[in-house]
Amino acid sequence: MPTESDLSVSALAPGKNDADLAPTPDPAAQPHTRRPRRTPLTWLRGGGLSNLTFALPLLIIFGTFSWWPIMRAIVMAFQHTNLVNPATFVGWENFQFVLTDPLLPTAIKNTLYFALLALLFGYPIPLVAAVLMSEVKKLKGFFSVLAYLPVVVPPVIAVLLWKFFYDGSDTGVFNTMLGWIGLGPYPWLQSQTMAMPSLVLQATWAGAGATVIIYLAALISVPPELYDAADVDGAGVWRKVWHVTMPQLRGILFITLILQIIGTAQVFLEPYLFTSGGPANSTTTILLMIYNYAFGRSVGGDYGAATALSVLLAIFLAIFSAVYFKLTNSWSKS
Amino acid sequence: MKSTRTYVALALATVLTTSLAACSSDSKNEEPAASDTTTTTTDSSPTEESDAPVTIKVVSLTPGSSDEAFAAFDEQVKAFEAKYKNITVESQEYEWLPDKFAADLAGGTLPDVFQVPFTDGRGLIENGQLADIDALFKELPYAGDFNPNVLQAGQGADGKVYAIPYSAYGVGLHYNRTLFKEAGLDPDKPPTTWDEVRADAKAIAEKTGQAGYSMMTQGNTGGWQLTVATYAHGGRIQVDNGDGTYTSTANNDGTKKALEFLKTLRWEDNSMGSNFLYDWGSINQDFAAGKIGMYTSGNDVYTNMVMANNINPDDYGLTVIPLDGADAGVLGGGNLAAVSAKADDAVKAAAMKWIDFYYMGKQIDKDSAVANAKIQAASNQPVGTPALPIFSKELYNESQEWIKDYINVPLAQMTGYTDKIFDLPLINEPTAKTQDSYAELDPVVQAVLTDKNANIDSLLSTADKNIQRLLDR
Amino acid sequence: MTATRSLDAPVTNSDAGLTLDRSQLAGQRRAAKRRIKSGQPEGTDRGILSDSDRRRPGIRVGMGAVNVVLFVVLVIACVGPIFLLFKFAITPTQDILRTPMELFPNGIAWDNVTKAWNDVHVSRYFLNTIIMAGGSWATQIIVATSGGYMLSVLKPRYAKYINGAVMATLFVPGVVLLVPLYLTVLNPPLLSSSLINSFWAVWLPAGASAFNIVLMTRFFDNLPREIFEAARVDGAGPFRLFWSIVLPMSKPILGVVSVFAIIAAWKDFLWPMLVLKDPNIQPLSVRLPNLEATTDLGVFLAALAISTIIPIALFLVFQRLFLSGAGLGGAVKG
Repeated sequence: MPTESDLSVSALAPGKNDADLAPTPDPAAQPHTRRPRRTPLTWLRGGGLSNLTFALPLLIIFGTFSWWPIMRAIVMAFQHTNLVNPATFVGWENFQFVLTDPLLPTAIKNTLYFALLALLFGYPIPLVAAVLMSEVKKLKGFFSVLAYLPVVVPPVIAVLLWKFFYDGSDTGVFNTMLGWIGLGPYPWLQSQTMAMPSLVLQATWAGAGATVIIYLAALISVPPELYDAADVDGAGVWRKVWHVTMPQLRGILFITLILQIIGTAQVFLEPYLFTSGGPANSTTTILLMIYNYAFGRSVGGDYGAATALSVLLAIFLAIFSAVYFKLTNSWSKS
Repeated sequence: MKSTRTYVALALATVLTTSLAACSSDSKNEEPAASDTTTTTTDSSPTEESDAPVTIKVVSLTPGSSDEAFAAFDEQVKAFEAKYKNITVESQEYEWLPDKFAADLAGGTLPDVFQVPFTDGRGLIENGQLADIDALFKELPYAGDFNPNVLQAGQGADGKVYAIPYSAYGVGLHYNRTLFKEAGLDPDKPPTTWDEVRADAKAIAEKTGQAGYSMMTQGNTGGWQLTVATYAHGGRIQVDNGDGTYTSTANNDGTKKALEFLKTLRWEDNSMGSNFLYDWGSINQDFAAGKIGMYTSGNDVYTNMVMANNINPDDYGLTVIPLDGADAGVLGGGNLAAVSAKADDAVKAAAMKWIDFYYMGKQIDKDSAVANAKIQAASNQPVGTPALPIFSKELYNESQEWIKDYINVPLAQMTGYTDKIFDLPLINEPTAKTQDSYAELDPVVQAVLTDKNANIDSLLSTADKNIQRLLDR
Repeated sequence: MTATRSLDAPVTNSDAGLTLDRSQLAGQRRAAKRRIKSGQPEGTDRGILSDSDRRRPGIRVGMGAVNVVLFVVLVIACVGPIFLLFKFAITPTQDILRTPMELFPNGIAWDNVTKAWNDVHVSRYFLNTIIMAGGSWATQIIVATSGGYMLSVLKPRYAKYINGAVMATLFVPGVVLLVPLYLTVLNPPLLSSSLINSFWAVWLPAGASAFNIVLMTRFFDNLPREIFEAARVDGAGPFRLFWSIVLPMSKPILGVVSVFAIIAAWKDFLWPMLVLKDPNIQPLSVRLPNLEATTDLGVFLAALAISTIIPIALFLVFQRLFLSGAGLGGAVKG
């Protein structure tokens, strides 16, 4: 069967076909090992110009705003840049500075803490909700809309709203409501121990709906024959959930898990807007540190340090993902 | 070396200018600048020559200021443009926040004339971010009248002037007279010692349920106010070793006493309310809303509270910070008007005229002062908020006399401050890595206010280590 | 997956309250076998619970309870905060501060809303958000469709290198791009001035989304090639093919990409905050936090409420589009 590339070359150039120019004598040979002699003319005739036209937006946008910045990041991590003076190479100095920053261990701990809490709150709940919702016949659509509603609220607005809810005085919204059941006023964001969980609670509220919908879609596509087979074998409800539903969802569960971990490792909005990393750095995350290196100094930011830390984070996430995929692949195969 | 890059940049700029002149919306200056600059904001009209029209971008007011405040500002712009017909002024809102400023600076979106606090002046000058306006400065008739202490904030190591101080402030204790009355305290007798502050805060908290005393803690203001309190207790957070190096001394008795004071009010008396994540803007907002009994800040915040927070003038009272100890003093700071290093000569000259007119005029020249006061008063903007003299005390008093008829701030409620401030020692903010030091001290203040068992000693020694690390870098 | 059991073996009582007795079990098995035999199409209405499952009283009560619980929880948790927002938007500030949960003890403050619209100029920032979202959407569509077309249909020789380069960016976390992208926007290649303070600084980088390219390419790969052949035989060139054949057939995937693009643009905070410095062109997400300290609480909440109305309204109107896009169309399987 002719390959697609073959199709494009021959189909779009109804005229001369460069295949004829190939020195390969064997007509039965695979088309894609032919080596036509390429000159600018053949390129033009082969639709090269139109190919290029279609490639151009992608090349320009990705090139300028994706590939070039990525490479630049790696270079900048080894330079001292503050935009005032020209950049100078400083070798490993940025990395040394970043790794000896006394705030780094705190930021790492906080980021891990956020990720862990977010997993605890935000991983099982959407799953349970989705499973329950998938079995509800009549109101499924309505429930889906309700669940997704918080996702639609712009994050900044959600954070500002919850910041107001979290007011620590007796007349704060949450404190008033908890007061109805006799639970004392809590400091929420004003406490070093409660601040992070408060952030995670809001983040979960805002994000769980999206995960629910993803799970719902996956649940709907579980082949009913599998459930039928399970019924034939006399399985009860819990058995069916455990032995049919979960394995079918395994793929999507693994993917949402790694996506959630990668996402929470880069959390910025909540710490920045809720508490600016406070109180006493208890909500300072790695992204917040990077932001502060680059944009938090009032006189010329330390862009080298910022890039160095982001490169370190990226490398860590890459290694983590690689290990993760290896592990889950071996699990999937068993 | 900078020069090669500059020539190349200049060459490119000229080529691009000539080739893009037809399509670009803001045309570039075609004369090669004397210093190394590339882009400017000049737009040259083809018909005029030497008194070429010039456009300058300046800062106006803090975001969220009322429409009346902006209207009053616009009137001033009109008056200026009427006086200097070839200069067009474009303005943009501005609030100095450490992270926004850095990004603006890097992004080149700072206007030609902007404001920075004294603490940043030195750093910016060293980095070459501010234009050398020494020559233009010396042309000002009052150049020699500046209080040298104050002028020094805008001078570089070479003694040249790079920025002009236009306002100086001392920190004061602001208190809410209405809450005082509600708590059974006499609003005309504000506290004069820290023990009295504590007692008054307790009374307010108990009788009104509002925070008796509050403190800023975020966006470097925690460190700033902690330094204020340190000075008030006789300590210093930084020592200039005289040889170009500095030592961080945050762990000193003054700072410790200040933190102990906060700890007592917060955990023993519970008179600090329930919000400990205030920055400069939000503490003003809550004070104006009647939620705070007392707090320390610059003596000029009343202006902002009128323009942006709708304060009821009857609520406001100002007195001096209590001083305790031999070396105690009042932290003094101020603001500089600076011109961006990217400005070319024409823009610089125009910028200086604006600085002279808008920032300095009303302090020097009776007619300007009166005209300005009139405009402000007409739009219900505050006139006469106390400040510290930039020139001499006599000139300051005289300038207040000029605008006597227009003063609409409740000066009688601020006598606790105005009567005493000139007799108190004024201490400048630390000179090296000031904002960074403040940033390191923010978490210390936050920790004391949010953790009952915060160990003040270890917090301060850690802060010292961290700050020293930055000072030595 | 499920252990097979002999049909006569008793079912163990591991499923509390859901034991089946012999006759029920037999009936269920018969129904299941019938379904499997008749080869009912995938997705026919059954999930974990079969029809006969549902008829059992234990299950009926259980599912009824599930319905109620889901309803209550979803309404309170998801709709609750949004409902409170709208309530506070029209409550006088003093009431919000003192008695937030009471029902308008001092009447309704409609002027919060008018002040928000006029004094706080919410309308202007709203427009900015729309402009920002519109431009980002356009860039993404242009880049994704032309790029996907080139990669999937035209497939020039260099296609696989481009594909690889695009895929590689999927594994680079966004944090790495932050600083260098900022510097690139400050000094864009070929342009004489920085893009800061112009919407282009947001529009252009938005197009560099590898995710979109993947979606598009996969979709195009699944389009039937015969139609392309027929068009080519009729003499259609690559542009014609793109415009008149491929694009009209791609409406579903264009819908999905559009939804993602617009949602992402609404959510965007950090990047617009860095590059849009002039308050007049800032979108809501950047502007609202700045105004918190200088705006009366009631008016501020009214501004938040106004900013939320459109996304919510759009969602309620275009539910299906949102939810099908959000479910990734079941595109990611185990």
